[in-house]
Amino acid sequence: MTRTKSRVLKVASSVGVAGLLLASAITSAATSHAAAAPSWCGPKKITAALTDGFGGNSWRLVTTAAAQDEASKCPSVTKLYYADGQGNTSKAISDIKGFVAKGVKALVVFPDAGKAVLPALRSAYKAGVVTVPYRVFPGGTDGVDYTAFIGSNFKQAGILWANWALKNLPAGGNVLFLSGPAGNSQGIDEAAGFWGVMKSHPEFKAIGAQPFEVTNWDPALSQQVLTAAIAANPKIDLILSDFGPSLVGALTAAAKTGWKIPAFAASDGNVLGCFWQDNHAANPDFKMFTVSTQNDHARLAIDYAVAKATGGKLPTTTSYPSYAFEDSVSGKPSPVQCRKDLPGDVYLSAQMSGDLQAKLGKK
Amino acid sequence: MTATETVALREMKSSSRLQLSRGMKTILGAFVLLVIVSALVAPSSVSKGAVLGMLPFAAVMAIIGLGQTLVVQQGGIDLSVAGSVSIAVVYVTRLPEQDNHRLWKAVVVAFASAIIVGIINGILISRIGINAIVATLGVSSLEYAVIMAISQGSPRRTTSLLNRIAANLTLGIPNAVYYAIIATIVVSVFLKMSVAGRRFEAIGANPRAGGAAGLKVKRHQMSAYILAQLLYCFAGVLLGGILTQPTAYQGDSLVLPSVAVVVLGGTSLLGGRGFPAATAMAALFLQQLNQMVLALNVPFGVRTLVTAIALLGGIALYTIKWSLVRERIASIVSSNSPGTSSGKSKKSNGLASA
Repeated sequence: MTRTKSRVLKVASSVGVAGLLLASAITSAATSHAAAAPSWCGPKKITAALTDGFGGNSWRLVTTAAAQDEASKCPSVTKLYYADGQGNTSKAISDIKGFVAKGVKALVVFPDAGKAVLPALRSAYKAGVVTVPYRVFPGGTDGVDYTAFIGSNFKQAGILWANWALKNLPAGGNVLFLSGPAGNSQGIDEAAGFWGVMKSHPEFKAIGAQPFEVTNWDPALSQQVLTAAIAANPKIDLILSDFGPSLVGALTAAAKTGWKIPAFAASDGNVLGCFWQDNHAANPDFKMFTVSTQNDHARLAIDYAVAKATGGKLPTTTSYPSYAFEDSVSGKPSPVQCRKDLPGDVYLSAQMSGDLQAKLGKK
Repeated sequence: MTATETVALREMKSSSRLQLSRGMKTILGAFVLLVIVSALVAPSSVSKGAVLGMLPFAAVMAIIGLGQTLVVQQGGIDLSVAGSVSIAVVYVTRLPEQDNHRLWKAVVVAFASAIIVGIINGILISRIGINAIVATLGVSSLEYAVIMAISQGSPRRTTSLLNRIAANLTLGIPNAVYYAIIATIVVSVFLKMSVAGRRFEAIGANPRAGGAAGLKVKRHQMSAYILAQLLYCFAGVLLGGILTQPTAYQGDSLVLPSVAVVVLGGTSLLGGRGFPAATAMAALFLQQLNQMVLALNVPFGVRTLVTAIALLGGIALYTIKWSLVRERIASIVSSNSPGTSSGKSKKSNGLASA
């Protein structure tokens, strides 16, 4: 009972803390690092900021922490501010404008709302701030609307999935692809990469909505979509997903009805690795391959922005690579990883250790 | 209790028991039609696997709809569904951290928090008189602040115990369905057969008359918000169990459907009598509609359109006075045929009373 009481108290006190956090919506990162400064870290002292269009899931939590860790390697960055747009486009825009007014010299932006934040990016850039959008393409051009866009080669993820499928499903089969919101560029690129390879392999057939089934990366919708797809297609040989962990609930539910899990190519997550370990024996076709979920994409964006603003050496690329992470068949580059002692929503492909990630959520 | 009140309550009792409400007849008919259409155009959506996959979500929506029914019949509306369902999901996944022994405490915290939220909503709306939309939206935002504080925006995996409780099958039917049926029976019996429920309904039908009859109007309105929160919380706990790896904002997509099922079930948005069983049936209808459209394999945009049109049709069934439309059509037809003169006057009558 006392534990419950103290928990209630904890919750009550955290409400207050949350209020304060929300009111300021800005936190700063520790910026001390003893090791020698990396080449992208120039001599000019600056303050910088990172803004997220939507910061509300574990992936963002780890990605933001990665960016803060990266910035802390450069002593010239005296402060890194952070703001979460909370899925609200107008807040995301005012966050950008707020930091420009505050006088930051470098601004790294996750432009979730895409083109809607382009005017804000442009005005930041015109005001002389090094402006680096990353991951979601906001439209516009490097050097005109912002300093540079740090994208990722999502096509490559599709190509990696396809090559794995060719090796492990020699007879081909029916392929179901689940991605996020309708028309999201990541899903479109991944589908293009996958089907580009499969052009010369007609034994692989696309089933379900094209280019992908819309799930909004929401576990509830994913579950309904997968159920419908399973009912409509008695034979599914390969499922592709660009947010693997969000499908674990759906796969569990489907398996309860006696359905056998087929081969699965996705992005990584601890929950998914553990799910495979618990279920592959009962589902002989359940081979799994993951590409890295790319939390460290934020590091490249920070490197670029800081180099430009402090006078350091620019990174050689503006595109973050997709790379293979786990393969349950070949064990290369890594066998399927599962840390049962850690929460499901840590990402073992990230540079930051799983143990450190687990602590992030407990602040 | 005054004599008039007793008579009024007795009359309401006799009118509401046993017979099916208009809403129930309509939604039942629509559901049967939908199942037939599903079987014809998208047979996979009525296959065993699809139905088993659809039922838990229909059950969750039914329980949320019951809560919304209670609020709507008091002339209110509760948009805090988003925050309340999400927060329940976060409590029952985040607090136990996958440890079954800590689950029950998390459930207690979730329900306690639901009562507090219900009281806040009730005070803001019935005592202070803030508009229900504004008050419940504001409270929902506060709940999101708590969610962020507890979970940093990411809840943990469901405990295996909660997953079994919510998502396992008993006699071939998902457990969530039994909970929804029990909740529907409890709410129906309360509303239709208990004295408190009859008072509650009388106030919903006419708060002024209820007040004049000596009923505590504000207290009953407040109780609607508290009972609704308990139901949302129950639904959230179930949803947490059904989705093994939920997000922190799982209630976001449930606000509009929660109002839709109430309206489809025949409860008027202006308040009045509530129809819990019809609301639950409407939840089943809406979920099957989703499932059918998913199975049709049409583009996402078309999918949304079909659902919207079906909803519009459902709402039109209740809000348009079809007798007037019929009269009007008849009058147009008769005014076109020679030898009649009553067409015009009938038409204006129809407009005036509409």
